[in-house]
Amino acid sequence: MRRTRPLPSILRAAIVSAIAASSVAVSPGAARADDTLSFPVLVPLTGFLSLEGTSQRNGAVLALKQTPAGVAIASEVVDTGTSPEAAVTALERAAGDGKVGAVAASMLGTQLLAMLPLAAEMKLPLVTVSGTASITEQGNPWVFRFFPGDAVTKAAHARYVVEELGKRRPAVIYQTTAYGQSGKQHLDAAFKALGVTPVFEEGVDPAAKDLLPVLSKALAAKPDVLVLHLHSGPTALLLKQAATSGVDLPIVAGSAMHQPSTAALLEPAELKGVCAETAASPISGGSPEIEAFTDSYRTAFGKDPDAFALGQYDGMTMVLEAVKAGARSPEAIRKALSAESFQGLAMTYKSDGKGNMAHSAVIVCYDGTSRVPKLVKRYDDPAIAAK
Amino acid sequence: MAERRSDAAASPPRGGGVLAGGALALLAYALLYASPYGLRVLTVAGVYALAAFGFQIVFGLGGALSLAQGAFFGVGAYVTGILGSRYGLGFEATFPLSLLAPLLLALPVGLAVLRLASHYFALATLGIAQVLHLLAVNLPDLTGGANGLAGVPGVVLFGHAVARGLPMAVLVWGLVALGGLVGWLLARGRFGRSLTALRDDPLAAGTLGLDVGRLRLAAFAASALFGGAAGALAVHTQRVVSPEVLEFPVMVSILTIAIVGGRGRMAGAMLGAVLLLHLPEWFRFLERGYLVVYGGALLLTVLVAPDGLTGLIDRAAGRLWGRRPHRLPAASAPPRFPAGGLAVEGLGKSFGGVHAVDGVSLELTPGTITGLIGPNGSGKSTVINLLSGLERPDAGHVVLAGRAVTGARADRLARAGLARSFQAAALPEGAGVLEAVAAARLAFDADARQAEAHARWALDRLGVGDLAAQSCDGLPAALRRRVELARAVVRRPAVLLLDEPAAGLTDGEKAELSTLLRGLTGEGTAILLVEHDMGFLLPLAGRVLCLDRGRVIYDGPAAGVRQDGAVAAAYLGTAVPA
Repeated sequence: MRRTRPLPSILRAAIVSAIAASSVAVSPGAARADDTLSFPVLVPLTGFLSLEGTSQRNGAVLALKQTPAGVAIASEVVDTGTSPEAAVTALERAAGDGKVGAVAASMLGTQLLAMLPLAAEMKLPLVTVSGTASITEQGNPWVFRFFPGDAVTKAAHARYVVEELGKRRPAVIYQTTAYGQSGKQHLDAAFKALGVTPVFEEGVDPAAKDLLPVLSKALAAKPDVLVLHLHSGPTALLLKQAATSGVDLPIVAGSAMHQPSTAALLEPAELKGVCAETAASPISGGSPEIEAFTDSYRTAFGKDPDAFALGQYDGMTMVLEAVKAGARSPEAIRKALSAESFQGLAMTYKSDGKGNMAHSAVIVCYDGTSRVPKLVKRYDDPAIAAK
Repeated sequence: MAERRSDAAASPPRGGGVLAGGALALLAYALLYASPYGLRVLTVAGVYALAAFGFQIVFGLGGALSLAQGAFFGVGAYVTGILGSRYGLGFEATFPLSLLAPLLLALPVGLAVLRLASHYFALATLGIAQVLHLLAVNLPDLTGGANGLAGVPGVVLFGHAVARGLPMAVLVWGLVALGGLVGWLLARGRFGRSLTALRDDPLAAGTLGLDVGRLRLAAFAASALFGGAAGALAVHTQRVVSPEVLEFPVMVSILTIAIVGGRGRMAGAMLGAVLLLHLPEWFRFLERGYLVVYGGALLLTVLVAPDGLTGLIDRAAGRLWGRRPHRLPAASAPPRFPAGGLAVEGLGKSFGGVHAVDGVSLELTPGTITGLIGPNGSGKSTVINLLSGLERPDAGHVVLAGRAVTGARADRLARAGLARSFQAAALPEGAGVLEAVAAARLAFDADARQAEAHARWALDRLGVGDLAAQSCDGLPAALRRRVELARAVVRRPAVLLLDEPAAGLTDGEKAELSTLLRGLTGEGTAILLVEHDMGFLLPLAGRVLCLDRGRVIYDGPAAGVRQDGAVAAAYLGTAVPA
């Protein structure tokens, strides 16, 4: 039998090189040939922030359906997971995919902080609903936050507790994440400004499966109100355990509570007397425009919108308004976002010079008969924390 | 389930040309085609390849499932992040310190946890990452807390900024090439082979003279260095450091890269990293559905390539282009241990309430064979385990070649000139015969090549030199016994403990074994021979001890054992009149 002669190793290497190089090269990122303006949506669709990230995605996608006449719009949704590395890679990928006008960027603070240097280098506006305070404290002119930062929401949170409920012994339970630590820091500052010192403060891990121990410790400090700053799941868990334990203290929760997905985890009776701060509560209505948005959202995605969806919708709508007004480059869009004022569905947006566009917060409360909260207080003052 | 071997030490890789071709392709892609995005993905793949090198050493070669590799990655990342963003130190300072910090963490932690059994070890190392994660979140003044630290500068090397894109990719992959070369040399050399022997059978490795604790600690420390280097580079590519670098997904990525690429192989780490970092990117258009495809692709890879992709490439290349002949070294006789006997006095060992060995005394004189007989469960194997350091005696004294060695570890006894065989031939699954025998010389010889030359000598002496290039798998029982014996003989020990070496041998093979053992005694070796076959043992042994329920019931000349009433009653049956 004739034996096949092996190929010389150099020839083998060359053949394999050619095949592999051609296969690796066929990867996404090939530039578009036309003048289509691209608005990538880079948000966390998987991981612990998937609920909020999906709201953010949906808000951006709904806004981007409003294509201005005469402008071709493209958009790709990319899951950033929860790691900064994935977010930076997604941004680099998006930047190579045609002419990018602006980016709907992750609401996860650590991801956005990682995206900022690259966005500045590439000169791409990032439009986000992240609440993490430090994202607009980096001196980066390319970030625009369409959700009130913790300085605003936590001031509203504290003021409602002290001024409206008349409570002066709050017990604060927060999350040991970037979201939680930032919120706790601003709550401390706001309570201090109001002359109140919390009687109890403790951080809990988002993976904690039983919050009764921390609740018991909080109650042992004899507070007159429970102030929560937790993610969606832990908020629902703590409220359920509080209801089961017969806790009759008023509870004022963070913005995660206003999300319909959080309320869906609880019975209406378990929500009785619970309030929450948030930027907006679209399902609570308030205007024909908000109701139209809520209907469109439900039709498109089969679920209720929350403040994150509305904030991102408003943000991308403002971007498109800028495009409609003639902005065709990232720099032109950045200038418009920096200088213009925009009447969105949730509020009026205007940059404070650092990229903070939203300066209003609302308090919503549940009456125990439904999962739709009522808007009970609105705070529109950007210098709220200083009062 | 028996583990299939895929490390470099087992056999020469057949797919080297393919892998070299792949490396050339990557280089061509990076230089000619890659977009900034493509270069970023490649850069991140390089970072993970570097982290996986360390994991290949500690887990792939050493068999220790260290879940601390992600923690070392995170420590390196935080050192660079803190020193770079807070103190403005440059890469020349932060990079070495990012290697040093995980190393300093690994040494005390390793001393504490490396002797734990596999699953406890895995849990303990996982705990390290959890503790560090808690510290990172709860020390905001130092670490920036849950938000982490932003504004980490890019790499500035001797005053020159390394820009993102191609320059950064070149820097990272330059370090990957350097790290891969170091890892490859370690894996092929004495260190890597010692780790492999340890992974295959830690008990046997100790009796071969390998210091299990020191080897594991060295592997753990090496893994920390690679992890720290990868973490430092990760921070320079992200420009922020946050607690995510200490979270479990980092560890899972490193583990997956090692398994998919090919356990124990540096090329596998590179291939796995390139594939695993690119795979999700190829399916990003599926939004969150990409995870399903990604998971399916990984599952398929593990099913199709249980030895990893490098193993698959080796097999495919072997079929396509034929097998490369194993180049065997010339046989060379290893040095002989100076003759020295073993004296045992009052040896005792209990397991709970059972006195397995009770007051056993014996003396093995150089150049003699002493038989050890007794019914099953009488304590013969326990005596061998006690003398070879696998068990610690509760009582008694042992002197080897004039030195008190009571309770000494197996590897120390082995290095003092004691060798043993096992009742069931303990050959590593999937290893080559030459490699298996050479493992017994790794603690003694200067390098792996010399150990192989000595192994050839031993195989020739056992009459199985033609098996050198074969695998241990599938060898008939008699040949396995010879190879096992070769692992003991290759050490040319002063004292040799043999546990039923003739079991399963034919009469002809027993005769050959007798000749061999006589030859060893002729060289001054003292032999303790545990055997049930009196026809084989008694002509060889000058003296015989018989144990029953842990106690010596006969100690005298071989010729008298059959006539001893106690031995007959306990073991042999009817006494034969003199």
